[in-house]
Amino acid sequence: MRRIMMSVVDGKGFDLILVGAALIFLFLFSGLPLLYNILMSFQEVDMFSLGKFFRPFVGLDNYRALLSQPAFWPIMWNTIVFVTCSIGGQFLVGFSLALFFNLNFVGSTFIRGLFLVSWVMPGLVVGAIWNWILAGDFGVLNYFLENLGIIDEKIFWRSDINYSLWAVIITNIWLGTAFNMILLSVGLAGIPEDVYEAAELDGANAIQRLWTITLPMMRSTIGAVVSLGLIFTLQQFDLFAAITSGGPANSSNVAQYWAWELSFRQYDFAKGAAISTLMIFFVMFAAIVYVRSTKHEVRG
Amino acid sequence: MNMTKQLLGVSLLALTAFGSAAFAEDVTITIWSLDDETQPAYTYAQEFSAMDNGITIDYREIQFDDVVSESMRAFATGQAPDIIAVDNPEHALFAARGAFLDITDMIAASDAINAENYFPGPLNSVTWDGQYYGVPKATNTIALYYNVDMFTAHGLDPDSPPSTWDELVDAARALNDPDNNIYGIAFSAKASEEGTFQFLPWAQMAGGGYENINTAGAVRAMDIWRTLLDDKLASPDTLTRGQWDSTGTFNAGNAAMVISGPWELNRMVEEAQFDWRVALLPVPEEGAERASAMGDFNWAIFQSSDHPAEAFAALEYFASQDDRLFPEFGQLPARSDIALPPTGVAPKDAALIVFLEQLQYAQARGPHPDWPQISKAIQDAIQLSLTGQLSSQEALDQAQATIDAILN
Repeated sequence: MRRIMMSVVDGKGFDLILVGAALIFLFLFSGLPLLYNILMSFQEVDMFSLGKFFRPFVGLDNYRALLSQPAFWPIMWNTIVFVTCSIGGQFLVGFSLALFFNLNFVGSTFIRGLFLVSWVMPGLVVGAIWNWILAGDFGVLNYFLENLGIIDEKIFWRSDINYSLWAVIITNIWLGTAFNMILLSVGLAGIPEDVYEAAELDGANAIQRLWTITLPMMRSTIGAVVSLGLIFTLQQFDLFAAITSGGPANSSNVAQYWAWELSFRQYDFAKGAAISTLMIFFVMFAAIVYVRSTKHEVRG
Repeated sequence: MNMTKQLLGVSLLALTAFGSAAFAEDVTITIWSLDDETQPAYTYAQEFSAMDNGITIDYREIQFDDVVSESMRAFATGQAPDIIAVDNPEHALFAARGAFLDITDMIAASDAINAENYFPGPLNSVTWDGQYYGVPKATNTIALYYNVDMFTAHGLDPDSPPSTWDELVDAARALNDPDNNIYGIAFSAKASEEGTFQFLPWAQMAGGGYENINTAGAVRAMDIWRTLLDDKLASPDTLTRGQWDSTGTFNAGNAAMVISGPWELNRMVEEAQFDWRVALLPVPEEGAERASAMGDFNWAIFQSSDHPAEAFAALEYFASQDDRLFPEFGQLPARSDIALPPTGVAPKDAALIVFLEQLQYAQARGPHPDWPQISKAIQDAIQLSLTGQLSSQEALDQAQATIDAILN
């Protein structure tokens, strides 16, 4: 008895309790909803069986019905384009800014902090502001582009099927850049100055230093930033709701918005759950990349 | 000792009696509606609650977008309110599944609510299988607003506004003035219920309907919408803009005509710096059948209500106040037996006469329990066609196939 008590207070038992608490918490608030969602995707669900747990089992019918919709593949393709371009844009702009602020000029830390303003704003507010910027007839962006002579005719960012997805991507890049920049700045600050000095003495130019020192030493940070970016972009919902509502004609619809649309606009909860289940695999992939890259960090 | 005991007994008895009496008086019914304190439902609920009738109302304001999902969740978990205000095309969704109380007999026995007094469209939307599952709360429809000053400036006669589709396109073309940022016409083809709301009347005028959306007439209607967009007679943002924002461009003088409803009247009186009027929705050709959309909410009592009689008494009170709807709140009662007094604002009163005439042709969307899916098929067709991805015929054929699968 005393030994058990001792082990609980200080020893293996204590560790087990800590691990157990975390696991129970995870299971209750993440595991159960996840399992419930997967279960729902194999059932026939309507608004009146929403409160029940046992509903008619329909196997893969929901998935088959989804795949047979003409909108399925375009929407999946949009999701891939959205995720790739958003992450790519956020990373490139964020990394450039991080390198810029790493020059440590006067006021650089202060201005870098100001950049976080975009990150702390709620998506719906960002969407509403960008709605005005992107507006077709009286938008600021069109006004600038026209005056700079880049375009001759107004671009209807939100209503033209060739641009609607890009309207959301541009906004999302603006929204996520600051977060990328801050994380990458931290990574840059972690590289010892003497490595650069040594390289410079050996005659390495700026590009060589970036390629052979900065990027390799930032590997784990970059891995973390990209996979977190993947998770955030796959969660991005507010911007779609605020800017294009997935339209016109699904041209800017992505999986996460479609799932919501099916569940809460057409009240087809089972198909909504089926899309969410498909997305779990995407996110899982991102999570694995993230865990692997941070593991490297701990060891190193 | 004995005395004390007796006294105690009496007072206890009195207390219990008092308590139970107070309890009996205190029937609380809950109402969910989207009206805020300046709108009828909230106002009537407070008045009814304040009356000495033993009924207290617990009123909850709920957002337009959340009405159905919130009440579904509440119903599924047994926490539905007693009364709800629901958008009319979604009424059948609940009625067909037995979620709403059949109040046919209550209406038959009621003095305040008389089924014959209601316009057929709104009444149809509360009807399922020949029984009444609610009472229309108010109604509205759409018609054509036009800018009289622009008509005169472009040599069009404001006394004979476009009455057919072709005349409408011609007028839009004459009024279109891209150099001054003026579009010929504004409307909404948004991929939401608003798009269906605006397109369905066009299909109905041409002999179509939600059950047969790919008729030749409906295809022609879609082609006309497409002409308006392709020739830039309407802003490309028509595809993503709701009716309220579209009418905003009309009020600002950036569109010469707009298709919208009476809910715009008060704002237009305030904002529009020009002379405007309202005309009936143009028809396919001279003498063709008229149709228009029918909007607004219905009252319904949930089947799970513990106090259906009290809930119905509340609805009776609301219905008895219908004559206040227009003068106080600017909404149209769904009844033909209420004369609307002039407001003294000339353009508004003239518009009202047109809207009341248009209301006679208003048709309910559905009623069908799967309306959201049917509506989605129509929205998809509108968007696929107007963005040029499919021809009007192909887009509507595709919608018809989806709708057939839902109907059968």
